[in-house]
Amino acid sequence: MASSQVVKVLIVDDDNFTRRIYKTMLFRFCFEITEVEDGKNAIQQFVDGNEYDLVLMDKHMPNMDGVEATRTLRGMGIPVKIVAITDDASSKDTFMDAGANKFLLKPLTFSMLTDILKSFNFLN
Amino acid sequence: MDYVHLRRQAASLRKGLFDQGYLDEQFYQLEDLQDDASPNFVEEVVTLFFRDSARLMANIDQALDKCVKDFNKLDVYMQQLKGSCTSIGASRMKTECTAFRECCRDENIEGCMRSFQKIKREHSVLRQKLESYFQLLRQAGPVECATRPNK
Repeated sequence: MASSQVVKVLIVDDDNFTRRIYKTMLFRFCFEITEVEDGKNAIQQFVDGNEYDLVLMDKHMPNMDGVEATRTLRGMGIPVKIVAITDDASSKDTFMDAGANKFLLKPLTFSMLTDILKSFNFLN
Repeated sequence: MDYVHLRRQAASLRKGLFDQGYLDEQFYQLEDLQDDASPNFVEEVVTLFFRDSARLMANIDQALDKCVKDFNKLDVYMQQLKGSCTSIGASRMKTECTAFRECCRDENIEGCMRSFQKIKREHSVLRQKLESYFQLLRQAGPVECATRPNK
């Protein structure tokens, strides 16, 4: 886990509206949330020395898509849990090969999120 | 003011949105996220959705206006729009987005144009209905959670 007790989540999605929904879901767990709009900014978060426990990664984003961002993070040796969340069902294998831990199809529901968090032991 | 009547009107309008296929199950998810900590959450995200989708649709309009049609770019824009529609439960819009993307794959520009006109109509109708719904809710004042319409 990241250095503090609070679970730190990075939301990576170019859709403002989607990020808002994810944030509201995650606030219920009192997690610390950061949001960025594309894969390039996601990478920069880690380059800047930030630590996260979980990344919620969209696929189709400008500048750098989610698959490339996932691959880059793994190439950097970043072990963070990455959950790909996209409406592009055909991208599952690509995402998993790039190093994602889980793949979910949009829309993300609260129960899907809870199941994922439980599977990673982020909920006490 | 007859608050009971206003609430009934709001509930009826909401039921109609589901019965007529404008909204699907996903909208319930948004309603379930609304609580004391985020009392206006649904209206906030709906507002965000219409703002962002209007911007996307303006981009699509521009792309369709160009002499040389970039079907890849159109498809990317529409995929984004479809994703947003999925997240809010805008069912009819989502269906038309899918139809548009099929036309992109076939490089059928007339099909894209027709489909986009439908998307714009659905967007406009949904916006009007949801604005009316939220206006009624505001007039009716704080209420308990509305029950889901019978399926």
